[in-house]
Amino acid sequence: MFSMSKIVKPLIVILLAVAVAAGAAVFLSRQPSAAPETNAAPVNVDLKGNGHFRGPEDAQLTLVEFGDYQCPYCASFHPFVKEILTRYPKQVRLEFRHFPLITVHPNSLAASKAAEAAGEQGHYWEMHDALFESQNEWASKPDPKPVFAAIANRIGINGTILVQTMESPRFQERILKDVEQGDKGGVQAVPTFFINGKQVPIKLSMDDFVQVIETHLKK
Amino acid sequence: MKLRAVLIALLAFIGMVDAFYLSMKRNAGVPCHITRGCTDVLTSKYSVVAGIPLPWFGLAFYITVLSLSVFKIFEDSQQASATALRLIFYLSGAGLIVSALLVGIQAFILKAYCEYCLLSAALVLTIFLLSPNPGSNKLPD
Repeated sequence: MFSMSKIVKPLIVILLAVAVAAGAAVFLSRQPSAAPETNAAPVNVDLKGNGHFRGPEDAQLTLVEFGDYQCPYCASFHPFVKEILTRYPKQVRLEFRHFPLITVHPNSLAASKAAEAAGEQGHYWEMHDALFESQNEWASKPDPKPVFAAIANRIGINGTILVQTMESPRFQERILKDVEQGDKGGVQAVPTFFINGKQVPIKLSMDDFVQVIETHLKK
Repeated sequence: MKLRAVLIALLAFIGMVDAFYLSMKRNAGVPCHITRGCTDVLTSKYSVVAGIPLPWFGLAFYITVLSLSVFKIFEDSQQASATALRLIFYLSGAGLIVSALLVGIQAFILKAYCEYCLLSAALVLTIFLLSPNPGSNKLPD
């Protein structure tokens, strides 16, 4: 049996150790991330090139998102990105760049192609939203194409044509060009955001997102 | 000298920092420095069991191991001391099986690695190797 005095000392040590460990973790978590806003060499994200835009052309900020349609974290960010565009309709313009992590998300490339194919029918952003919002419907399917067709029909475009055209090599080329630019820009994970060409870390929190946007609008 | 227990306590302390960090950063995106895919691993469907994020399980594991090793350091009774070590052995053995499974998921299913998870697996392995086999008669201090 442990006597009281025998228990108190180790208990104090344990509580102290837990408190110090928690403190150390808080300290580490507040350190800048590995992908901080970099003022060094400009990140070569060609803002006037490849991506799909949403928002006014003369917006003060261009928010570039490198994303993966099958990434749950990107799907979690999606409503926040939309909310930012709603809150700053004149100041912020979004450009989405494909960065499918195909080793982790086997359907991500197909989803990017489906978005591009929908774009050809003039409904890129509708498909973009629908892919994120219905990620659970297709993410784990061995063959997601029937689901893509159904989503396309739901948003008012021809699902059959979408599935027939999505394998076109030009879509894959476009997607790979995005990936290449992301690699050049130091994209390590998805989603990665750039504001006016600079990579910015944004936490999964509306408050943090708004704060980042406000800070850049004041610059 | 109770060197093994001190070493185990130190490793458990590092594990606690790691698990606390992952618990805090899990939803805010975890930057990788060595590997690629930390956020993907930590937001994958395998990162939550019964609604509980895996780092919380890790945290509970390390706090338990730390508590046992600290009690072992302060305990003079040979029997209680041996019991504490035996519990660490069994606990870290179970932890090792879980860690191997999680590393396997990273390697073969997700094909992405989280350095913090790999660190945790290495810590569990080292704790297991440091904790003496309860079948052995010789229980080193």
